[in-house]
Amino acid sequence: MKYIRDHVMFIFSLLAILLGIESFLVFDRLTKNYEQDLKADYSMLILANKSMTLSELKQINFNISAIDIIKKQAIVDEMAEGMSDTSADDIMNALPFFYTVRFGSYLDNSALEQIKEQLIASEDIKKVETFGKNHNSNYNLFVFIKIVLWTFVTFMSLTSIFLVIKQMEIWQFAHRERMQVMEIFGASTMLRSGILFKRAIADALIATVITSGLFIFLRFVWVKTSNIEILVNKQELLFEYKDIAILGGISLLIVIVAVIVVVVSSKENKL
Amino acid sequence: MANIISASHLTLAYDKSDKEIIKNANFKIKKGDFVFITGPSGSGKSTLLRSFYGQLVPKDGNLLVGGQDMNRVSTKKLQELRTHFGIIFQDYKLINEWSVAKNVVLPLIIAGYSADVQETQAKRLLKHVKLSEYADRMPLELSGGEQQRIGVARALSKNPTLILADEPTGNLDEYSSNVIWDLMENACEQLDATVVVVTHRIPTIFSIPYRHLIIENRGIYEVH
Repeated sequence: MKYIRDHVMFIFSLLAILLGIESFLVFDRLTKNYEQDLKADYSMLILANKSMTLSELKQINFNISAIDIIKKQAIVDEMAEGMSDTSADDIMNALPFFYTVRFGSYLDNSALEQIKEQLIASEDIKKVETFGKNHNSNYNLFVFIKIVLWTFVTFMSLTSIFLVIKQMEIWQFAHRERMQVMEIFGASTMLRSGILFKRAIADALIATVITSGLFIFLRFVWVKTSNIEILVNKQELLFEYKDIAILGGISLLIVIVAVIVVVVSSKENKL
Repeated sequence: MANIISASHLTLAYDKSDKEIIKNANFKIKKGDFVFITGPSGSGKSTLLRSFYGQLVPKDGNLLVGGQDMNRVSTKKLQELRTHFGIIFQDYKLINEWSVAKNVVLPLIIAGYSADVQETQAKRLLKHVKLSEYADRMPLELSGGEQQRIGVARALSKNPTLILADEPTGNLDEYSSNVIWDLMENACEQLDATVVVVTHRIPTIFSIPYRHLIIENRGIYEVH
């Protein structure tokens, strides 16, 4: 009971930070996944006067990462049905070259418009057509939520770090006599602060386990009953095992820095 | 004999005031000396002792302890210096969350001695202070006299070159006080340690030669 009382504020502060960070990680993964889907859905069709290579198109805009040549033969075969071979050849020669262009990263509407303008400006390109669902408003909403979440996490983390340091100062006060005695007998700062390090590291690990446990529960149990389609389909994004290492690393870093800040900023105690 | 403590025109003031409590004092304490420092309450006895282990920086003058200038000693040097001291407090200052045996070997823990050495030394010292059976007890389970014997054992655990005792018998009955004085006499003789004891009253029966410094009117004088 005493342990819980002594540690609950510290663990809660760490939990606030870790839950915020994990939420951000989840949302970041969802956004990136959404970007991938949008990118896959989107393509640009180019009608060119001459045969073009990927490097030529990359020179026009570096975001172009791949091109697929659309074979003209199928079009010609359909158009020239019942015509002579000569007419079919004429159609083949008259048709421009068709390419589907893909991009390396997700681009918003203004970037796509800019690429389109750059392509059309090329004398080798006759026309540019774009195909894709307009997800821009959804995507912008995602980005907006991500920024809001990041801002919230940052401020919550700062507040929580102050609480962590405050709690550390309370611990230091509670153990001041022990630390003073050790100091008088020549213990180094790190040695006499060992008790603070031990407690803080134990609590950091507890907070990591609780946060990881919560998100594992969300991924494997809660999401199945949630009926939230986007989460059901992407449940692996709700928690990745590497998150345990990220959360553990962050919480250990926070508590170790907090102990050092408290220990270094405290002056020599007088007995 | 080399000086362990050397004060020249030493002036000390309380931590948060300019009020000088010791002024322009000159004295030397040699290796192997047993020194009593007496004086009325509030005369600065404990303050003087604190300056010996570096908790109070002299306001003026020079104070050399173990060859270190206490006006300029770095934190690291001070830590190193303190590992050669055995300090005994009137209120024992034991770590109440630790067992008696662990308290006794605190200086060995700080110095990084192995668990085996710590255990051997704890047994030897507890036997020396006649508290072997209390090794696993907690300090608060012991009487004042017993706690002070643990305090003495702790001070002796790393064979200190300088033992500083602040009113070590101040809270004890006559029997316990005599036990403590015996232990300190033995420490001085057997370890060849320098012992400085701040006290109100010098014990009436004391079997080894000693020096007596008295603090009076902010000065420190030797009583012959």
